[in-house]
Amino acid sequence: MTPLEHPLEEYDSVKTWFKGLREQSGVDPMSDPSRLRLLGEFCAFVNLDPDQVVTACLLAKEGRQTKISIKGRRGMAEKIAQFQSQLADVDSAERARRGNTIRSFLIHNGILLQSGIQI
Amino acid sequence: MEYKEVVGRRRSIRYFQSWRSVEREKIQIMLEAARLASCAVNATFLKAIVVFRDDLDRETLDALKTPVSGLNIELAPVHIYTFVDMGAYLGAQARLKKLVDVGALNATHGWSHKFVDDFVWPNILKPLAEGGNQPSVAAAAASDAGIAICQAMLAGVDEGLGVCLSAFVYEPIKKALTPPDAWLPLWVLLVGYPAESWEAGGQRPRPPLEEIFFEGKYGKPFKADPKVTEQLKAAKMIQAQAPLPWRKDEIRALARMFGLPE
Repeated sequence: MTPLEHPLEEYDSVKTWFKGLREQSGVDPMSDPSRLRLLGEFCAFVNLDPDQVVTACLLAKEGRQTKISIKGRRGMAEKIAQFQSQLADVDSAERARRGNTIRSFLIHNGILLQSGIQI
Repeated sequence: MEYKEVVGRRRSIRYFQSWRSVEREKIQIMLEAARLASCAVNATFLKAIVVFRDDLDRETLDALKTPVSGLNIELAPVHIYTFVDMGAYLGAQARLKKLVDVGALNATHGWSHKFVDDFVWPNILKPLAEGGNQPSVAAAAASDAGIAICQAMLAGVDEGLGVCLSAFVYEPIKKALTPPDAWLPLWVLLVGYPAESWEAGGQRPRPPLEEIFFEGKYGKPFKADPKVTEQLKAAKMIQAQAPLPWRKDEIRALARMFGLPE
């Protein structure tokens, strides 16, 4: 993978995620260190840094309002599903947690994603 | 439940007990409430198809989800797909005359069979029936359908159910449920027992009365009488506004229960 240029928490998208967790969800982002670890693993899985993960879901054209890219979001949702299911030796709750951590990261960066029930 | 409390308790419920089916009789009560709604020219513009989610095959269920409403559609055990029937103007002539016959439209207000036959039908309703695609006609018909949907929603709340209007993707529903071409899709009314508390975090913030209603002319606010406001609070029509202090905890608990992102 392309090595990350900065520690994860220094990326704008990670700052936005943490702010959203604190302010919207009432969650202390530092309470569970596995959040950042999973995001790091996902970044390695897709070979992108956190900001690039968000940008890959967007459609930006000069002079036009940036939109969510249907194709980009669908592709990223598939990557998350793969990331979630790639570990065979973890239970379904842990798999869901892996995927939902990345979904949470994207959601708080303005990318609406719905995974459906995972119980 | 008293009417004012029913109005006050209605929320858009977005977490349903997905495992708990809804009694068919409760759905019938909702449909009856819709059937009895006020409607212009006694035309039932609202048409609906009730679908029990578990009767849908997986492919259809997945196809009709939108990015915003997919989870709601999956959680709700009952879907009521609503349509506005642009063909409902047809037959209005006979229905109006029936209203004359039953004493709803009377000579005191100028109504007669001859008025319906010679004026109302040929000059007003027939052109509307023939021009159903005009935006103003569609808007009027959709407005009536909305009134009926609202009554169904309130009846559902009165039965202890949660309700939520959502968008849906029309093509798979058209294919699966085969509504007539004259029916234009509106919303899917999702129904189920709430998995969140009935307060759902509190009454949604709305602009004050004075901002949206006027008296006499536009620009002169319809001022709320504080005494009436207090009466409505006592009657539970006006309730504690969202967010209630425990809402974030509730959402976190729901997220964990259903395996959803925080």
